[in-house]
Amino acid sequence: MEFAIIALAAAGAISLPALATAWAQSKIGAAGVASLAEKPEISGTVIILLAIPETMAILGFVVAVLILLQGGG
Amino acid sequence: MIVRMAKIRVLGPRDLLDSVFKALQELGVLELVEPDPGGPVERMGLTEGQRARHRRFHRILADIEACLDSFGHIPHPAFSGPASREDLARWARLARRLRPQVEHLRATAADLEEEEALLLKYRPFLTTFGRLLKSESTWKHAAAYHVVIAREDGHTVPKLREALREVVGEEFELRSEHLPTGEVALLILITSPVAERVEQMLKNARVQDIPVPSSYGAHSLAEAVPRMLERLEQLAGEIAEIEGRIAELAARHRDELARARDAFIDCLSELDALPAAGATRHAFVVEGWAPVEELPRLCARLEREFAPLVVVEEVCRDGPSAAEAPVVLRNPRLVRPFESLLRLLAPPRYGSVDPTPFVAVFFPLFFGLMVGDVAYGLVMIPLALLLRSRTRPGSVFRAVSEVAGVCAASAIVFGILYGEFLGGMGHEWFGMRPLAFNRETALTVFLVVAVALGFIHVVLGLVLGTVSEWRYHRRHALAKGATAAIIVLAAVLLLGVLGFLPKAAILPGAVMLALCLPLLVVTAGFMGIIEILSTMSNVMSYARLMALGTAGVMLADVANELAGAVGLLILGVVVGLFFHTLNFVITVFSPTIHALRLHYVEFFGKFYDPGGRPFRPFARFDQQLGR
Repeated sequence: MEFAIIALAAAGAISLPALATAWAQSKIGAAGVASLAEKPEISGTVIILLAIPETMAILGFVVAVLILLQGGG
Repeated sequence: MIVRMAKIRVLGPRDLLDSVFKALQELGVLELVEPDPGGPVERMGLTEGQRARHRRFHRILADIEACLDSFGHIPHPAFSGPASREDLARWARLARRLRPQVEHLRATAADLEEEEALLLKYRPFLTTFGRLLKSESTWKHAAAYHVVIAREDGHTVPKLREALREVVGEEFELRSEHLPTGEVALLILITSPVAERVEQMLKNARVQDIPVPSSYGAHSLAEAVPRMLERLEQLAGEIAEIEGRIAELAARHRDELARARDAFIDCLSELDALPAAGATRHAFVVEGWAPVEELPRLCARLEREFAPLVVVEEVCRDGPSAAEAPVVLRNPRLVRPFESLLRLLAPPRYGSVDPTPFVAVFFPLFFGLMVGDVAYGLVMIPLALLLRSRTRPGSVFRAVSEVAGVCAASAIVFGILYGEFLGGMGHEWFGMRPLAFNRETALTVFLVVAVALGFIHVVLGLVLGTVSEWRYHRRHALAKGATAAIIVLAAVLLLGVLGFLPKAAILPGAVMLALCLPLLVVTAGFMGIIEILSTMSNVMSYARLMALGTAGVMLADVANELAGAVGLLILGVVVGLFFHTLNFVITVFSPTIHALRLHYVEFFGKFYDPGGRPFRPFARFDQQLGR
């Protein structure tokens, strides 16, 4: 039971930031594509902007790993 | 590093301006700037003669480029000395004479190709009608109608036959044949007396007779079809002949026209640059920026050719007006390819810090830390070499290939440190032992290494920011220095409390921290406190190095597991290759983006000042292309 709660906590730690990242990337991606149509030379900047919200998912992953390591053993 | 620039002023008698401009263009080291509008000299405009020359050169250049475009591959000849007036006049005549010839040949070839494409498209149709039209010869003095019915209307042929029978009785013949495209070709033959009624009937049914093409000199389709098929045979030969004539002209004139193009572009750029000069009634003045190291060469050349009439003086080298100086980055050969990673941003402002050497160290380090697999690194090396072999020296892709080579080497080194070859296969199959730590199990160690690297990177950024700002904004520099000190002292305190540093470090660390905090508040206000929090989150952002690295090795293990689960050796190899290829693409793409992001957002945010503009010297066309 305890391990199930730890696993659920780890799943929450990664899944919620991942959903937030997906939402943010959908907005940035749509705006980025529209901007690229106007200015193709900003492709590099758009890729970098798209990578910025991934921080949430990545930190969520780190937290999930820490929960599993500290709680699960 | 950013090359030191100096603003210079060249003064001389007005009648020497053309010669001085030619010399400056050949030197190619001076970026011209327009004279100060409030100064004693007026901006020089083009005379009527120069404007006429400008228009003429444009026309000639258009002729030359039209010819070169028609010739296809355009060479870039090496500079072979300045063109004489006679050369320019000869090239102008040549281009004027050649352009109509070449354009006529190109237009003819295009017409023939269009005709050939049309005939090729309709060949099945013509062949089918050719067979039907043989029937026409059996009906003397008959009228013929040639009709094509769409695929979906094919079932209407019996109805058409019925309708014809009602109108003209038995005085007609209707032949039909299916085309390869699915349509139905119809030939309707009728006797002349009833032609009018049939024509009316077809008109009412909105069935159109196929027109006889006028260009084949035939009165009927029966005559035209064989001629069209015969024409198709001839067209290939005619096109080849015209292409041959164009190739012959290209072989004879292409190199000369390429040289002419370069010469006329140089003439035009000289005329375009003239308004950057200032003039009085008898003298001219030209101002511009040049790299300090090029000044002796520039002065020596002007002195040799024009002394004592023309003089060069240095207006400024450092100081506030130097902030307008253009930026030239010059780095050692090994570091230079990493300049390409800065091209996504505006160049650094003159007088600030060029981050290229730091990028050259940290970018491959982060990439290797994330990818860290001997096999993936070994695959990247031939790909980088292939890209290198197919790109021009100095191009962006050449630089990218060289960066990829360094990153591949870094991935191999870290692969050895982690003991990884296609993920865990290194341990299981090849007996590789991790020299540093095992990424699959030592997650905490990996996280600490990633955050520690982030700490070093961010603090380095703050130190560079302090150095960069010290020259012009001492208050900002002090704020950045205080932030760096607070972050370092906070880390010292944390490590002391956790027992990784001697307890004796805690008290001095706390005292210094207490001194730095007021300094930060005085220099940056309460925003400075927020900056501390932001910097800490920047450091934590480097946890992505661990996250992506772990995700990469886990995916590689999944590929191995899937390959092993198949059971059949060959199928297992195919499945393993497929998933490792997929992982390779993800593993290379994602770390590149994130290593860039760590530089652009976390590192550059601390010191990079992107307000610079690239150096654009007044130079010959071949020099601008880097030939």
